[in-house]
Amino acid sequence: MQQAIPYKSWPLPCVNASSRPASSTAVPPRTGKSNGGKDVLEIVSENAVIVFSREGCCMSHVVRRLLLALGVNPAVCEIDEKDEAGVLSELGMMSREKGKTVQFPAVFIGGRMFGGLDKVMATHISGELVPVLKDAGALWL
Amino acid sequence: MDFPSTQFVPSRTMGTYEPIHQIGMWGENFKSIGNANISASVIVDVANKLENESETTSHEMLTPSSKHDQEASKPFDKVQRRLAQNREAARKSRLRKKAYVQQLENSRLKLIQLEQELEHARQQGPYVGGGLEAGLLGISRAVNSGIAAFEMKYERWMEEQNKNMCELRSALNAQISDIELRILVESGMSHYFELFRLKSIVAKADVFYVMSGTWKTSAERFFSWIGGFRPSELLKVLVPQIDPLTDQQIFEVCNLKQSCQQAEDALSQGMEKLQETVSATLASGQMGQGTYVPQVAMAMEKLEALVCFVNQADHLRQETLQQMSYILTTRQSARGLLALGEYTQRLQALSTLWANRPREPA
Repeated sequence: MQQAIPYKSWPLPCVNASSRPASSTAVPPRTGKSNGGKDVLEIVSENAVIVFSREGCCMSHVVRRLLLALGVNPAVCEIDEKDEAGVLSELGMMSREKGKTVQFPAVFIGGRMFGGLDKVMATHISGELVPVLKDAGALWL
Repeated sequence: MDFPSTQFVPSRTMGTYEPIHQIGMWGENFKSIGNANISASVIVDVANKLENESETTSHEMLTPSSKHDQEASKPFDKVQRRLAQNREAARKSRLRKKAYVQQLENSRLKLIQLEQELEHARQQGPYVGGGLEAGLLGISRAVNSGIAAFEMKYERWMEEQNKNMCELRSALNAQISDIELRILVESGMSHYFELFRLKSIVAKADVFYVMSGTWKTSAERFFSWIGGFRPSELLKVLVPQIDPLTDQQIFEVCNLKQSCQQAEDALSQGMEKLQETVSATLASGQMGQGTYVPQVAMAMEKLEALVCFVNQADHLRQETLQQMSYILTTRQSARGLLALGEYTQRLQALSTLWANRPREPA
């Protein structure tokens, strides 16, 4: 059963680091679902770069360190185990490649689904990552 | 001349006290794991036999004057008491023996387990640890076959690799066309990608095997980073071999070096985080009670991320090789592949030399 998407996306009470240059209002951590938390859609559109991951996932740590090394401070949204399935399916629907299954860590750049760690690494080596980040306004210089 | 007094005890008294003394001895022997094979019934038989003997000798023990008077009651009581004592001693002895046999059985099982573990570890090299809780036999067989399969394939891979190197060497010297050279380069690169694929399969069977680099020579292991070569190191070795480079190429190679370094650092930091996580999980809860199955089970779950790391590291190696082949010309790529192959051969030669170095006499 899918969540109804257009007007209400999956509500998330999640930890939100500041991400330049998008404004990030501090999200009250883990209070109620619908009141305190933000929606996936909101979060993705508000942040130039955001990483969705499981709690304490080491691979998302890798993604974060890499982005930090490039000068980007990514927003991070750690998903509870119980919300995992719902968030993943919603992220999958937001992805351009509709057929592909989304896995954690999932990176969104400029409001659009970018990919997982594989994609980030590959584009970084090929030199394509930095221009994409600049386009999204996550990097200057 | 001083002799110990026991030597002069008359035999008949010896006869009387012997049964109890002998059974008492069984207790001593039991503790020192001595005559363990006397069955309980034998003890009782011996006890009874000696009892019968002592019955007769006890008569002679008594002073002649009181013998006839108390013959009916005293000797009878004493005999009964002695019988009861012997029965009691025999019973205790049987219980002790039972406990001892149980202990032996447990030790035997433990020994079998340890032998299996040793065999398992011997087959796989110094870094693999079996998990006793995990059903040792079943899992080790599957792991062993995965590893055995990989080692066979790796041997073939090495042979093919050497063949490729020879072909590449003669092709470069023979000045063949770029198109033909391109085919060799592509095939050489695919060969490396094939190794990454093989590693990914065996990593699922035993990630520690891949991490330890057991299948490689010792010098190669010395330089190992997450189960293989470090891409940035590779570039440092290769680039001087493929001079001259155009300015554009130098710029691109420089960028690639930096990207590699950043990616490696990110992965290394992720590995550190994984270590911290596993360590924290393993150390959680109170220590010292000898119960830790939940902690170990949780740590196992976390360790599964290690497979991801090995895959990501190989993915990085593949992307780096691929990117190099885009930046370089065909001829340069060929020289690069050759250099990489020979560098590995030098490492392997170093390992052999090291293993065979003359040791100083003790």
